[in-house]
Amino acid sequence: MRELSELKQSVEKALAFLKTQPEIKSAQVFASANNRLWTRLNYTSHIPCNGVEEAKSTDDYGIGVQIVLNGANGNMIGFGSEERDLSLDGVKMALDKAKQGAITDPEFRSLPQPTGEKRTLSDYHDPSVMDITDRALVEGGWKILDGAISSFLESQKLRDMAPGGALHDLGLIVGGDLSIRQERMAVGSYDIPEVQSDEAAAILANVTSMVEKGDAKGSGYSIHLKLSDLDDEAGSEAAANAIGSLDGVRLPSGDYPVILGPQPVGELLSNLIIRSCTTGAFYSQQSCFMGKMGQKVASEKLNIVDRGNARGLIGSRGITCEGLPTGETTLIKDGVLSGLLSDWYEYQRILNDPKGGEKLGVNPGDVRQALLPRNGFRFGIEGGRNFGGRPSASATNVVFESPSASDFGSLVRQVKKGILVGRLWYTYPIHGLRAGDFTSTLTADSYLIEDGEVKAPIKVNTLRINDNIANILMGIRGMTAETRPTILWPGSQIAYAPVGMMVDKVHFEAIAEFMDSAY
Amino acid sequence: MAQKVDIALVDKVKDELANLISASRDSLEGCHYIDLRLGVGEGQGAMAQDGMSKFSLRDYRFSYGIRVIAGNGTPAAGYFGQPLGSADVDNLAGVIKEGLGKAYERAVANSRAKSDRLDLWKTLGGSLQSTELAPVKVCRDTIPAVYAVNPLDIRLDEVGKLTQEVSKAVGAYDPRVKVNQVMAQTSLNRELLISSDGANIDRTYALTQGLCVVVAIGEGGVQQTHYDCVGHQRGWELLTDGIEEDMIRSKSLMGFALDLAADNVSLTDCKPCPSSDKDVVVITDPHYNTLLVHEIIGHPTELDRALKLETAYAGRSWLLRSLKENMLGKEIASPLVSAYSDPMLPGFGHYEYDDEGTPVERTVHIDKGVFRGFMNSRQTAATLGVKPNGHYKAIDSSLVPLIRMSTTVFGAGKDDPQQMIKDVENGYYVVGHRIPSISESRENFRITSRKVYEIKNGELGEMFRDGGIMANTKDYLMSIDAVGNDLRIYPVFNCGKGQPMQAKKLGNGGPTLRGYARLVGGAK
Repeated sequence: MRELSELKQSVEKALAFLKTQPEIKSAQVFASANNRLWTRLNYTSHIPCNGVEEAKSTDDYGIGVQIVLNGANGNMIGFGSEERDLSLDGVKMALDKAKQGAITDPEFRSLPQPTGEKRTLSDYHDPSVMDITDRALVEGGWKILDGAISSFLESQKLRDMAPGGALHDLGLIVGGDLSIRQERMAVGSYDIPEVQSDEAAAILANVTSMVEKGDAKGSGYSIHLKLSDLDDEAGSEAAANAIGSLDGVRLPSGDYPVILGPQPVGELLSNLIIRSCTTGAFYSQQSCFMGKMGQKVASEKLNIVDRGNARGLIGSRGITCEGLPTGETTLIKDGVLSGLLSDWYEYQRILNDPKGGEKLGVNPGDVRQALLPRNGFRFGIEGGRNFGGRPSASATNVVFESPSASDFGSLVRQVKKGILVGRLWYTYPIHGLRAGDFTSTLTADSYLIEDGEVKAPIKVNTLRINDNIANILMGIRGMTAETRPTILWPGSQIAYAPVGMMVDKVHFEAIAEFMDSAY
Repeated sequence: MAQKVDIALVDKVKDELANLISASRDSLEGCHYIDLRLGVGEGQGAMAQDGMSKFSLRDYRFSYGIRVIAGNGTPAAGYFGQPLGSADVDNLAGVIKEGLGKAYERAVANSRAKSDRLDLWKTLGGSLQSTELAPVKVCRDTIPAVYAVNPLDIRLDEVGKLTQEVSKAVGAYDPRVKVNQVMAQTSLNRELLISSDGANIDRTYALTQGLCVVVAIGEGGVQQTHYDCVGHQRGWELLTDGIEEDMIRSKSLMGFALDLAADNVSLTDCKPCPSSDKDVVVITDPHYNTLLVHEIIGHPTELDRALKLETAYAGRSWLLRSLKENMLGKEIASPLVSAYSDPMLPGFGHYEYDDEGTPVERTVHIDKGVFRGFMNSRQTAATLGVKPNGHYKAIDSSLVPLIRMSTTVFGAGKDDPQQMIKDVENGYYVVGHRIPSISESRENFRITSRKVYEIKNGELGEMFRDGGIMANTKDYLMSIDAVGNDLRIYPVFNCGKGQPMQAKKLGNGGPTLRGYARLVGGAK
């Protein structure tokens, strides 16, 4: 993988070269190197399988150049990049593409300018994660499987289920992956000439396990910043949760109080809430919080903060992909919409939008601090910081807090008959983001709560939620202080979601009844 | 200065790379199989919003991916993929050889670890197998692109100008259109597949797409956001002239975008769709059925999903519980229903060989209501003991292929779609797809539509917004009582699957269908 010093030098030389080109009024240069490694897991006791299905990776490096030129009708802006060439030749090829594609955008104001905030996070990752070998990659995946298989072999419950000890006939499944993200970047511009760099790495394991004969499914996750912390936890947790979900019950359609676990909170956050909490979503009038800056959008028990510069949190970065410092943006405080995630372009756009006041519900200039561009990243669809992409607003570590937090037990004790929702599937804003309607299905780790106790697992894939995000947010009645890091796909953003969030009423539909007699 | 990357590059390197693969297979200890995919594309795209140009770029893409199956005890696979640049052209074989070495190391490490677990896992180690590929005919072929206007002959500023003109026209259509975004892209792509079995497939194809997003807000404050795309494996003519084929028909980008704007605006005046407590008669049009067949036929018939490989990601399939317990040969739909996947159909999903060099064939999923088969790869075909049918595809050569839809459709029937509506006393006509949500094994779905019309006494009545249908998959399929003769194929530009995510372009479609489902509107 390319060294940080190489990326920095490349950016420095690129800027020096660009400044010799008289037609270029301003420029920003971004260089990055990314390595993404995965071991994809597939174990099935009842179907021939490979265990570790794929040990694979993609890696890339290159340079991206954004330029501002003088045009007949005003500034022209162009972008170009070149893969696997950090030399001046690569810069020149990127520049040629940028010039060829330059356009006049009347809404463009400038390339990113200093915001007055300072960088506060550096040197925050474990260097050994950058040096993982192919063998360690493969062994890491098998270790996770070992954890799951041990849990299966040690389970008395499974032995009791299996006639003649034929555990393999129970349809045991372990799937998911171990993924390792390694990123390096450097960025500089005419307006922020000191070239800055950043380096981050993380290890994430995401495992689903089943006892298919019992229609039982469980999930396991682990997220690490240190290679030495990598263990079999995700596998053993998933298998244990699957075993714990045997003998699931069906529930009828209806409205139920719920306690949402960290994954469902992450799912709703990722697909509905965060997407509505960007300046871009407000500019394009698609946010479900249109016109509500400074107004109540959720229960007063809810705070949501994006913390991009927090040491020790998985999604932290030292600087954004626009060369601006990461920081803390409060999105919701005591239930009131208080801030938005932004990149530089959208930040400038909403500040200068003649309808910005109508869209936000307040004069954008009055809440400028709450819209500061601390979240302009070039995260690729595969993960990593993409030199060939343009910045857009992305979350980093989204932390849930409550001014009146509870413990999990006391939340459960308040529920007479309700559902502990452990895992949601295919959650989408079904009528567009602004309407807030969403649908999702319960797929694992979910339980019936009765008379203040967790009573029985719920059979997988038997309930669908049809509701509206406003009902969920306004209906929050309590939250745990304890949170758990939850991966928001594709892993560049992390939710520190409460272990339990109680919502007073959610609408469920019973589904897939035909499956009870299908096999 | 580094060499230029263009699709002609493949001619210069194909023989050398074929020799590399063949020699490596022989020289690497315990190596059973190698395949190499090399991809080169040249293209351009632009985007405009509210009549203002936002972005334009002409660029290339260049990448490769390797699979190695190796190991003396229990062979396993290892993979490596990498995007490439101009700087790699002069030493391409050297770069690929290095990547091949990494894939081999991973395969060997994986094989050793798998062999260790055969005993370590006791009774549960018995299902671990050697990685095997079902045999296929080894093919060598060269396939040219089909287009009227070469995507590379268009100037980039023409691409930008078209998006700007269309975006301006959409914005000017009606004051209720508040925001619109128009994107256009066109490219020429070449993919080379070389395997140690001797396969050598060299395919070039054009790809052109236009996408439009419209946000409209009515006078009463009702907001509607809808998006849609046109696309085909054709040249620039798709966006300027539209296309009129037997199963694929679309207007020019301008006409298409204005139609979308018109729908959006009209929907802002509509009431929200009601919900029904019970199943009602629903007639779904071909555009809606594009997403329906995608979600309830296409995805659950991907064999990797059925064999549980996607349990943690895209989910399983209710069509297969185990090799012994499954729906093969069983009735899962009304006898009027047929469905199949066919890579030889035109559109986004067209190809002649998949990414393992398997020559494609039509795969029937449902024949007169009976479930008949899955889309597969060589590895999954070996597990199920069936013939490979060529559905192993990646969106980029650097990524590991998955089992993906090519073009999956409901088969055409004999009924006249107009008569299908006239026959209904009380029901709903559901038009145009919007957003889906499907349960994990695809046993239940809820898919919203662009428009819903009430049907009364065989006539279309009031139009509603924000509605759709929800049903258990098998119950819905069994309820189909009329199938239209109007099969159409539409492009799907963003089917997501895999880790890392691969958003694939493919084709789906079907005729008008009539069946029973719950009508679902918005939440209270």
